[in-house]
Amino acid sequence: MEPSRPESPAALFEPSGRFDPRAKLIAFLFGFGWTLLATQIAALLLLDAAALAAVALLRAGRPWRRVLLLLWPTLLMFAIIVGFSAGATAAAGAILRLLALVTISVLFFATTPPEQLGESLLASGMSPQAVFLLEGTLRFTPAMALLVREVKEAQESRGIRLDGFYLLRNGAALLAPLLADVMRFADDLAEALDARGFGGPRRTPLGDYRFKARDWALVASLLAVTLTPLALSRFYPAFSIQGW
Amino acid sequence: MIVCQALRYRYPAAGALVLQDLSFSVAAGEFVLLAGASGSGKSTLCRLLNGLIPHLHGGEIGGVLSVAGQDPRVTPPHQMSHVVGLLLQRPDVQCLATTVARDIAFGPAGQGQDRDAIVRRVRETAEWLEIVHLLGRAPHTLSGGEQQRVALAGVLAMQPRLLVLDEPFAFLDAAGAAQLRVLLRRLRDAGVTLIVAEHRIEQLADLADRMLVLDRGRLVADGSPDQIMTGDIAAWGLEAVDGPLSAPPQPSAATGATVMGWEAVEFAREGRPVLRGVTLKVAAGEAVAVLGANGAGKSTLLRHGNGLLRPQRGAVRVSGQTIDRRPVAELARTVGLVMQQPARMLFAPTVRDELAAGPRALQRHDPAWCARLSERFGLDSLLDRPPQLLSAGEQRRVAIAAVLAGRPRALLLDEPTAGQDARARAILRDLLAECAREGLAILVATHHLAWAHALCPRWAVLCEGRIAADAPPAEVLARPELLHRARLAVSVGTA
Repeated sequence: MEPSRPESPAALFEPSGRFDPRAKLIAFLFGFGWTLLATQIAALLLLDAAALAAVALLRAGRPWRRVLLLLWPTLLMFAIIVGFSAGATAAAGAILRLLALVTISVLFFATTPPEQLGESLLASGMSPQAVFLLEGTLRFTPAMALLVREVKEAQESRGIRLDGFYLLRNGAALLAPLLADVMRFADDLAEALDARGFGGPRRTPLGDYRFKARDWALVASLLAVTLTPLALSRFYPAFSIQGW
Repeated sequence: MIVCQALRYRYPAAGALVLQDLSFSVAAGEFVLLAGASGSGKSTLCRLLNGLIPHLHGGEIGGVLSVAGQDPRVTPPHQMSHVVGLLLQRPDVQCLATTVARDIAFGPAGQGQDRDAIVRRVRETAEWLEIVHLLGRAPHTLSGGEQQRVALAGVLAMQPRLLVLDEPFAFLDAAGAAQLRVLLRRLRDAGVTLIVAEHRIEQLADLADRMLVLDRGRLVADGSPDQIMTGDIAAWGLEAVDGPLSAPPQPSAATGATVMGWEAVEFAREGRPVLRGVTLKVAAGEAVAVLGANGAGKSTLLRHGNGLLRPQRGAVRVSGQTIDRRPVAELARTVGLVMQQPARMLFAPTVRDELAAGPRALQRHDPAWCARLSERFGLDSLLDRPPQLLSAGEQRRVAIAAVLAGRPRALLLDEPTAGQDARARAILRDLLAECAREGLAILVATHHLAWAHALCPRWAVLCEGRIAADAPPAEVLARPELLHRARLAVSVGTA
């Protein structure tokens, strides 16, 4: 029996981090918007640099590296395709844009526990069902990854290789049990949710989520950074927003 | 509390009735043990009681059913959950949140209780189930038994008047089972009505006020457990309680050279040591049981055996050679592993193809050997059926046969009796004993001591990451302090 270490449930329910999850969500959406609207390499470089600085500042380097290790073949393939069809500059732009999007997403998800995001949205009046849809997607993604790993291990234990080229040849050995298991999982999950009272009209957020001064300040500064150049360019046509 | 008259049920698109003319009533505060072989309809009845059937599964229901004055057929499950708590079989899927504390709070939060009440409820429930130390952990990092306790805590936190538990002992170690028994007794004393569907009836026969036995959807016995257990319960796929332990088999004369060897293996996960210098050898023709508490590292030990995990220190040897970086698929020629969830191993369209898939990948397909395995494992009548649609017991047999089809020299089995009824366990035990007699080295991780007693002449007890004993069962059972330390210190029941 493990030694008992007292944990206070109330403390475990309190929001972590300096900013409210909703403020972080707004920042994430702004970052996403800026990245999608950026047209010049310089602007994308600036966004990438800012995002990477934030990764270093928030010590999110490990999850960022992990995601990039998974994604680099896709990024490379994307660059090659764009490079052949639209030239080197477009390829560089596409890569920088994808890198910024990935980095911003990692930053957000690495610093925002899904249940805290869900509960803060619940506190804002979002329906419990919609919140669970969001939470569940984030919560069960690792479970699905674990499932894939377990099926892969089960098949390799039988001598059926699923690495590299073998995945193409023996893919059915992975897909068939995986599909069956995912369907079973979905069925079991639906039962567990119903059995635990999910589906009622109310759900109490477990933490106390309030927009504090620093959250308002973050949102205000994001708005200012976005709107000020827009206003300047509108009223003073000589001022143009380079890169956007 | 429950009134059930001429109840019958058929799943959608299924021909036969799963429940037929069930009539019984349960008074408030009664403790009912629901027994029966796999496929007898126990789980279906549990799902009817809180409205999962028909609200989620549909199907055709006839007769009368009333639970706490409500008809589960018209009351939605989330409303029924205020009265009926249902603990389902698979604990991993019932853990719905990212931490144990949040998971326990899920039900009360969904009931709209205020935050202080939820915190109080979580703390009380965690204390009851002695899982306070797990509150901050992520459920998916827990062992099966720990997940089971967390899932139970999630149901209890809703304070239901009727608690329905479907196979709650399936994933628990002996000490965990003893804790659950204490808890059930306390719940009964607190006036909660309890319905527990369970294969391991030895865990509950002395606790329950009443026993209902289902056989192919029909209620075939209703009375006190004592009264029912004196009859011929084997005919319903049940096994007797309090009988003597089967004599353990004698070490096989065919025992030969060491096939598998763990040498001072150390392994830590997320900074927690799981294996601390484990040394163990299994020879050809030996059947060795690895026993230990939930989370003791049994599965981790097995996964080192076929290379799914590599020792951080020490070595694992297969046929005398260290496994080094040899791929798992290559090691599968010598070592077969059957996992806790056999369905994850099955992918072929038919059982026949399933048996051939592994050997084909290993380029040692022998149709005559596959045919022999099929006959021995009772699969001949299932050969053209899809493995994914078989019962859990049948899937287990197919998975073992599919692994043996590759002619490994050693077989590792992880909790092969979990969720299996007495008949399936007995069949499995006999099959494995036969394989051991033919020279297969078998290492089986199990919680089921009686089953292990009947199969394995040698027990390795894993405790706090170390092999605390490696001896014949009688020697292990004669050491109460070891049994207590390894959380095995309870009655072992019968084989």
